[in-house]
Amino acid sequence: MRGSVGRKTIIAFIGPAVLALAVIGIGPLLFAAWTSLLNFNLTKLRDVRFIGLENYANVLTDEAFWAAMGRTFTLLGIALPVQIALGLGIALLLSQPGVGFLRTLTRLSLVVPMATTYAVVGLLGQVMFNIKFGVVNQLIGFLGFSPVNWIGDSTNAFILVVFWDIWQWTPFVALVLLAGLTTVPGEIEEAARLETRKWWTILRHVQLPFLIPGLTAVLILRTADTLKLFDMVFTMTRGGPGAATEFVSVMIQRVGFRAFNLGLASAQAIILLIITIILSQLYLKLVYKEVRQ
Amino acid sequence: MDFRYQASALALVSGLTLAGAAGAQEWSLEEAAKPYAGTTVDVVFLLRPGYEAAEAMLPEFEEKTGIKVNIIKQPYENSLGEQVRDFVADGDLDIALIDLVWIGNFAENGWIEPISKFTSNPDLTDPDLDIDDFFPLVLNAFGGWNGEIYGLPFDNYSGLLFYNKCMLDDAGFDGPPQTWDELKDVYGPALTKDGKYAFALQSKRNETQSADSFARVLWPFGGSFLDENFRSNLLSDESLAGLNFRQDLMQYMPEGIVAYDHAETVNAFAQGDVAMITEWSAFYSTLTNPETSQVTDCLAISPEPKGPAGRKPALGGFSLAVASQADEDEQAAAWLFIQWVTSKANAMEYLERGGVPARQSVYQEAGVAEKFSFVPSLVESWQEGVPEFRPRFAEWPEVTEIVQEWGTKIMLGDVTVEDGAKELGDRMEAVLEKAGYYDGRKPLAQ
Repeated sequence: MRGSVGRKTIIAFIGPAVLALAVIGIGPLLFAAWTSLLNFNLTKLRDVRFIGLENYANVLTDEAFWAAMGRTFTLLGIALPVQIALGLGIALLLSQPGVGFLRTLTRLSLVVPMATTYAVVGLLGQVMFNIKFGVVNQLIGFLGFSPVNWIGDSTNAFILVVFWDIWQWTPFVALVLLAGLTTVPGEIEEAARLETRKWWTILRHVQLPFLIPGLTAVLILRTADTLKLFDMVFTMTRGGPGAATEFVSVMIQRVGFRAFNLGLASAQAIILLIITIILSQLYLKLVYKEVRQ
Repeated sequence: MDFRYQASALALVSGLTLAGAAGAQEWSLEEAAKPYAGTTVDVVFLLRPGYEAAEAMLPEFEEKTGIKVNIIKQPYENSLGEQVRDFVADGDLDIALIDLVWIGNFAENGWIEPISKFTSNPDLTDPDLDIDDFFPLVLNAFGGWNGEIYGLPFDNYSGLLFYNKCMLDDAGFDGPPQTWDELKDVYGPALTKDGKYAFALQSKRNETQSADSFARVLWPFGGSFLDENFRSNLLSDESLAGLNFRQDLMQYMPEGIVAYDHAETVNAFAQGDVAMITEWSAFYSTLTNPETSQVTDCLAISPEPKGPAGRKPALGGFSLAVASQADEDEQAAAWLFIQWVTSKANAMEYLERGGVPARQSVYQEAGVAEKFSFVPSLVESWQEGVPEFRPRFAEWPEVTEIVQEWGTKIMLGDVTVEDGAKELGDRMEAVLEKAGYYDGRKPLAQ
């Protein structure tokens, strides 16, 4: 078959995609890599000059950058396991036989949070968690508790971002894992249930192998998404109070588009990209290994 | 009728007519704009009352001149980035909207033209421009850089003390506090009770933290960002006194004040939850509008309280300048618009529509002070303000990011006032060193 398709046809089909990727993906990436080697401040264009790896040295020795990176990984370390645990729980519940209508209804409603634009989620958070007028504090008030300062307190603001991320992305994990569960052959699962009544054993030895591809996708996508989390935080807390919710992408935006230091911001972005690639490779090696074997 | 009398009368009438005609030929907006009819000028406007006022007046200008003014509306937070990207990319903007802290940046980059380029052209310049009619402080701070005037003051603010007369009356006060210490030590405890607060100082981590919160407590206490050598002055006794004062004052402010921007602060006051705020004069129209304020009957205004170093109220605002990237026709059209919208003749209408003009003459007109209760305080503040309330050099965008981060950290107690001020000062000096202020590459202009 391969021989029957001409080279021109292949180029005609793949070419546009490669071209689009080059223009909107690879081109800007190369430009960012080049910019990261320059002293490049948008408001001081007369002073643009090649400075080698100086921006990288500045980033790597900048406490504020690593603090932002630390916050980002703390968010990832808390939110991702919770999303997977809750998502798995929801998926297992929905995969039970005899919940047909409920499953359809739940699937539909699960789409709502993740279909909501990040920025809108942030704005919703800003309004709902407003200390004085927010609906959340009103509900808390009905229960007899005093209002909580959600956005103006460093710890609470961080908790709020974690909570909001879990709310928005648990449904995604649930849907992916639910799809994985539907690939478990019924006869194998039935045979396993005859062998043991322990749900954990069934999950571990029968269902989990079928969930691994989905789980790997979840790990990679959610890690990349969390590392570049910006819109929701920007609209809700703008990185504050102080630097409490200044995650690494919020910081890059601040340096690049508010202080206009595009050289430094590009170096930060490239370092973030490298970290994301390393993590993705680790996931593929460690988690996906079982399936590949 | 005596012929000689008739002849004299005819001569007089003819003379007057000719003089009138000659006068009209001298300068009129319609005539000046004729060569530029059909030109479109692009300008960024903010979502604030002064801009709505100008927009409402715009049809008259467009009708008279045939020049189309294309307004691009942006929230304040986006407006600098939007303009910088446009100027760097040689874009479409013909007029620059300049916050006073951007003037050094815009002027040094050559993005704006000095007004002398146009005032030297009698065809383009209204003989009644009367540049001296602008408040000198406002003209120099908003539109001037390094001895040259680039922009004409357009949307002009001074910090004012808005207070709730009814709440103060109930607490036994017959007037507002005269000093910051009095506000904290006397009014603070008396007015903070039953879920109400004496004061709110907008301190969100954006330009609000730098301009409205941090700088506001530096100057009245004798502090400043920089000393005369452009080294950090934040560890001086005066600066630290101001910053410590802010920490003490927080006990009389609503919880979570570091998340309060202008909207939250004005809203808290408008709802009657806070007795006093120091806010920009631009919010007068919001607070006097029954649709947006429940305290219209209790609203009173005074200048900001004094500190040990005097009043030194917050100063902020915007000028309009002609963009260098515009072509010749667009520049001329842009200048005609700027001149018209900031003119003496339009100042009253601008004021009545919710704007705050910087023309001295309009505030001297009979009845203005009575009709707009903020006027006497505003005029007083513009006579006592500090032009470098926030440094206006090109490095301010980088410096303000540092002030915003560390100013908020200080308020939250994440660092002590001293440690925060030191860290902030060190980082600020690093930016200025890189810019070349310490090795003589740049003049010490702010």
